[in-house]
Amino acid sequence: MAFRPRRFRGPLVTLSAAAVAACSSDSPTAVKPFTGPSLSIIGHGQTTVRYTAELWTRGNVAYTTTWGQRSPAAVGNAVYIWNIGGNTPTMADSLIVENATTLGDIQVSDDGALLVVATERDNGSIVIYDLTDPLKPSRVARYQTPNTTNGVHTAEVARVDGTLYAFLSIDPPDARLVIVDLSNPEDPREVMVRTMGNPFVHDVFVRDGLLFTALWNDGVTIWDVGGGSKGGTLADPVQIGNVRTAPWSPSVTGSEAHNVWWFHDAGGSADAKRFVFVGEEAPGTGGSVLNSSNGDIHVVDVSDMSAPREVAFYHVDGAGTHNFSVDEERGILYAAYYNAGVRAIDVRGDLSTCSGDQKAADGRCDLRKMGREVAAGLASAQTFIWGVHFDGSFVYASDMLSGIWKLAAASRPAP
Amino acid sequence: MRFRHPRVAIAFAIAGAIQLVLSLPALAQTGADAMESRDSTRASFGLRAQAIGLATHVDPGPAERSYTEGYLAQPLIMAHGGVRHLQGVLTLDFEGLTLERGQLNMGAYGEGYADRRHPHTYLHEAMAVASGAFGRVGVSLAGGKGFVPFGTDDPMTRPFAAYPVNHHLAQILERYVAIAAVSAGPVTLEGAAFNGDEPTSPGAPPDASRFGDSWALRATVTPVSLVEIEGSFASVTSPEIASGGGRDQRKWSAGARLRQPLGRLSYALVEWARTDELVGDVKANQFTSFLAEGSTALARATVSARFENTTRPEEERLTDPFRYSRHPTDLSIIGITRWQIGTIAVSTPLPSRRMDIAPFVEVSYAHPTEELTPSAFVPQDFYGSTSIWSASVGLRLGIGSMVHRMGRYGAGVPNVRSVATAGGQHVH
Repeated sequence: MAFRPRRFRGPLVTLSAAAVAACSSDSPTAVKPFTGPSLSIIGHGQTTVRYTAELWTRGNVAYTTTWGQRSPAAVGNAVYIWNIGGNTPTMADSLIVENATTLGDIQVSDDGALLVVATERDNGSIVIYDLTDPLKPSRVARYQTPNTTNGVHTAEVARVDGTLYAFLSIDPPDARLVIVDLSNPEDPREVMVRTMGNPFVHDVFVRDGLLFTALWNDGVTIWDVGGGSKGGTLADPVQIGNVRTAPWSPSVTGSEAHNVWWFHDAGGSADAKRFVFVGEEAPGTGGSVLNSSNGDIHVVDVSDMSAPREVAFYHVDGAGTHNFSVDEERGILYAAYYNAGVRAIDVRGDLSTCSGDQKAADGRCDLRKMGREVAAGLASAQTFIWGVHFDGSFVYASDMLSGIWKLAAASRPAP
Repeated sequence: MRFRHPRVAIAFAIAGAIQLVLSLPALAQTGADAMESRDSTRASFGLRAQAIGLATHVDPGPAERSYTEGYLAQPLIMAHGGVRHLQGVLTLDFEGLTLERGQLNMGAYGEGYADRRHPHTYLHEAMAVASGAFGRVGVSLAGGKGFVPFGTDDPMTRPFAAYPVNHHLAQILERYVAIAAVSAGPVTLEGAAFNGDEPTSPGAPPDASRFGDSWALRATVTPVSLVEIEGSFASVTSPEIASGGGRDQRKWSAGARLRQPLGRLSYALVEWARTDELVGDVKANQFTSFLAEGSTALARATVSARFENTTRPEEERLTDPFRYSRHPTDLSIIGITRWQIGTIAVSTPLPSRRMDIAPFVEVSYAHPTEELTPSAFVPQDFYGSTSIWSASVGLRLGIGSMVHRMGRYGAGVPNVRSVATAGGQHVH
């Protein structure tokens, strides 16, 4: 049969047009605006050389880490040191960590003596600095072993029985938790390593001898590391309970448990130690980092540590939560909300009891419908908020795009 | 004899295999002829070795600088044998030895490599195929490690040394796979179960415990002998996190391929592909591709041209700017880049009685732009330009006959006439 080109022209044109048209991508979902009170902006310490990641403050000094690669010469290997004594944070100095591309996590020890910085994706380690001069940290040690080299995604510093430890969540393959004794910071010592997480362990929270691990799809597991009744130790944690928090969408199967905070309400009440807040980090729909996010805050009742259960949640349309900081004196949780700025939520009292119209279909209380949204900040700016830190007076927020913001703390709603 | 390092053993294996190939060209040809004759009563055997030696210059590449490198790419040994209803297909790929750092290939990505094409696994294909026929309907069952019936032919079998960006959108390979295929007249249907995990290194086998967590379907129609049209779908579970629990993928592909010369056009392929990345059933990202390529004879040369428009996920680069973490966590997709690339290749076969020798020149122009803003990966910043030129010169070498169509097995090879007579068999 002789070929007749004309017969093919129509279908080919149609095919080509359809294929080219189909090469467009979805757009991220828009954030639903918050109409309540704003967290007032006091100052903005701006840096756009690198992407900003986590922050920590102590006294008049803030430390921010950096992430990714903003230009060939500006990878996430810097720690910026800010003077936050005035209204506007001013950059006082910086540190460069060699052979690092991302410094995800940073924390100052509770006695203010040490600064601990995590490095990933390759050359995973923690770098420990002495803070005798808080504006001029001096390096004490870099701790890198075969158990950390995949990348230290988060590093939490906490004291158990008077000894300072670092809890390192290590990237896959063979994602694991590594616990390191920092009592001699010049010579950190591995106390425990255990494979955990599905597919990885993302973060932990340690308080009163209990360890809470955010195990992504597997939710949160509570371990006895000396404060429980299961005989657990840091060298051999014993599981007490697990909860798989409900995903933000019923179409999602895993919990995407990202971070944890066991709330101790200084206001004191029957509910003072009853609730654990779990951050869920889910990818945005049709977007990527810097332009979309999803995921809720989950409230877990741990009255019975062996059978924790989710009782409430907080949801923002078109945005997802990241890290928390809680004002335990006033009972207000501050949550970094990526493309939705910072949200302040009243978490005092019984979060598990609400009226029928304040409940979701699955019976959980909806904190927004309960009127527990106190304020929001940076929601209208071109920001992408990674972390928040409440220092007792002010709220600081790290913005991946532009540095560090200083915000006024939220007021408690009138009783 | 024991080898202290696996590479030494593999090098010996390569040397032995090359020696075998060089000594058996006649047998290889005989085997190929035997298959062409489709004589079901005789054993068939075919063997081929091939490789591409090339030097590539890219300007600019990552970190705003140019690169010039040389490689031995696609060093393969392919074998195919059959006895009556049974056939075996074996392809060994030694890129793990020759391309450990990856081949400069702007836009290419996957398995921890970006802007370098990753090496494939040593055991590229090892498939056993049982074929038969019921009247005019050809059937086959195939199993082993190999290609999933999804998408278009592997870039390795096409006329360019540089891979298209869409390799991970348009093909699924190097999996433990079981394939059932049915062929009737111009229609071929294939269905497969396989493991979703991508290879983690050239020497790493798939995770056998994950076999069956993913599946694919492909329909191929040859309405006229001139054109072959395929449409396929695949559901792939956690391809990037081998232990499971990562994002899943739903993949679509449609392609039309010229099967016979058409005027001056000796080869052509038009394809569209789409991959949705899912968390549960929620679509987190979508990547798409449109590609058209063709070849024509011009004097004694073959001139090939390709245009591609593909979106690619971007992940955080490591200290080596051509690598990203093979094991994603949260915040892994830091941007999406649209790659528009035009490529022209000119190749001239040289006369040789024992080997295929074909010098070639290949030039590409790429224009990468961020698909979403703001983006944590901005091509202008990362490369220093959104106009990227690549040029390669090299030599394609081969000996023996191409003994099977890579990636298709048994009745899955379209438009090979099923033996209509009772007792016949379907051979490819």
